[in-house]
Amino acid sequence: MTATPASPPDLELRPLTLGMLFVATGLLGYVSGFPGGIGIVVALGVVAFAAGLRTVSKRGIFAYAPVPVIVVLVLEAATAPAGFGTELLAGLAGLAFLLWLGDDPARPAGGAARSVPVIALPALALGIAWTSELFLPAGTVPFGVAGALLAVVLAAVAFLMGRPSLFDREEART
Amino acid sequence: MSGSPPAEPFRWRPLTPLLLAAGVFLLLSAVLTRNPVPLFLAVPLLLAPLAAGVVGPRGAPTVGVRLSTEGTGPQVHLYGTVTPPPGVDARDLVVGVRRPASLLGDRVARFTRTGAEVQFRADWYAPVPVITEIEPPPVVWRDPMGLVERAAVAPVEPLVISRYPPELLRIGTVRLERTTLLPGETRSRRIGDSGEFHGIRTARPEDPPRQINWLASARAGRRLANEYDLEKTGDLLIVLDARPTILGTAADEHLFSIARAAAVGLCDSFLAVKARVGLGVFGEFLDAVPLATGRTQRIRLEAALKRSHLTTARSPPERCAVSVRRVFPPGITTVVLSSLADDASADVSPYLRRRGYPVVVLSPSPLPLLTAGSTLSDEDERLAQRIARLVRRNRIARAWKEAPTIDWDDYWSLGQFVEFVRRPRIRRAG
Repeated sequence: MTATPASPPDLELRPLTLGMLFVATGLLGYVSGFPGGIGIVVALGVVAFAAGLRTVSKRGIFAYAPVPVIVVLVLEAATAPAGFGTELLAGLAGLAFLLWLGDDPARPAGGAARSVPVIALPALALGIAWTSELFLPAGTVPFGVAGALLAVVLAAVAFLMGRPSLFDREEART
Repeated sequence: MSGSPPAEPFRWRPLTPLLLAAGVFLLLSAVLTRNPVPLFLAVPLLLAPLAAGVVGPRGAPTVGVRLSTEGTGPQVHLYGTVTPPPGVDARDLVVGVRRPASLLGDRVARFTRTGAEVQFRADWYAPVPVITEIEPPPVVWRDPMGLVERAAVAPVEPLVISRYPPELLRIGTVRLERTTLLPGETRSRRIGDSGEFHGIRTARPEDPPRQINWLASARAGRRLANEYDLEKTGDLLIVLDARPTILGTAADEHLFSIARAAAVGLCDSFLAVKARVGLGVFGEFLDAVPLATGRTQRIRLEAALKRSHLTTARSPPERCAVSVRRVFPPGITTVVLSSLADDASADVSPYLRRRGYPVVVLSPSPLPLLTAGSTLSDEDERLAQRIARLVRRNRIARAWKEAPTIDWDDYWSLGQFVEFVRRPRIRRAG
């Protein structure tokens, strides 16, 4: 196992995850509702800007790098029309964004690989959701279900954010 | 960080609310616009923080922390290793090395990480002699995406470092005034050069064969020699003046910190030659460590010096002499560490001397502190420095009438003091 210096920040682009984010965000921008290819230009520009922020050694600025990417992803997904594969593309863009988060240049290399167990759960949920959407008949029922899920998720998020100790587990004394 | 588990080991990082807010917004958008695309983007954003909380260590991980320092004189090189428990990748540990306020140098330590451990190094230096503690670095496990973190438990004690002028290392060879008997101790009736047996030490080339303790040497595998009281140096009492002066709290604290470091150096040096060393810190009352020798005494003295602090009350100097007389037998060589910044601080040594203690005063000079913070013009500055030097010289001269007094203005050199105490003629002046 080789030693890797981690401080000061590496200040280098991690091309693999950045490329994945570029491709996923660009494609989502391409299929989004923005006219004249503005979506893809904005998406790629914002991702490039965020990647540049990540190479800045000032920690205060560095920490804000994910914000523009989230904003552009939300805008693209909210304006993208439903279509075959568009939903899957949005989900994959979210996963690519998480992988890019895990590949933080200020931390030791290999963060993307180490974050795979965390990303596996959303990826599994995404696969189930896409498969369900693909094979189940469309109608108003799914939106009712989604509304109920929304209420449950909001309650769960509020509950878990207020009680982080729920994630703790007593270690065995023996 | 102490060895006890932190109160709230699990914390959400600032990125988590951002992801959750975006996810909730996308969910709302999907329901309101009856469009499933935002819903699919919301799934990873909403589930990732929860997954990060579940996948990581459940509870505060206990990490092993090893700290060590190297360096001589003002140099302080800190080396550390953090070892995570099984199942935790060391690359996910965030180690915050904090530089003590009394040291200068690297603000950020240099880290070397592998999957099994985190090593770090920081190069600091002490601008003035100092005794200080290096707190164990706080260690936090943080998931690779930076969504959640857990404070780790590091069961390790703070590392105490002391840096003092290197000349103090050779002051231990000075023969002190006398050695007093321990309670219950009786002198040997054997007449000869060797005197009362004191202990065993590593043999020196000049030791005669009769002085070598052959049995002990055979057991230890190296040459050891007997040491006798007549060869041993005497007892030493160090008195620190912790009363406030006219210089103000900041300057007093600074000078007191320097005096504490010098006291540590004196203790180290004389304890190394098996002299008995006692300590008195005189603030409002006397905080005393009785005479003793050995490693335990070294720890006692270091702990007493670490917890010593300046007092706010000005107490009469007679109280110091009276209290010292209750704890320490008269006649032992006494080093008083006092800034002599005002007349009141110069009064301790006369009272001690009248009660039978041969006193040497080591006075850290406040002049370097006063010139460092000046805002005067060059000409006025020169004039002010000259006046300050004259005042200081006058005060030292008056103190000399009562006891030998060393003006310590170069904080990293005590050659003048060492040379002085090595001269027996002047030492008798006490």
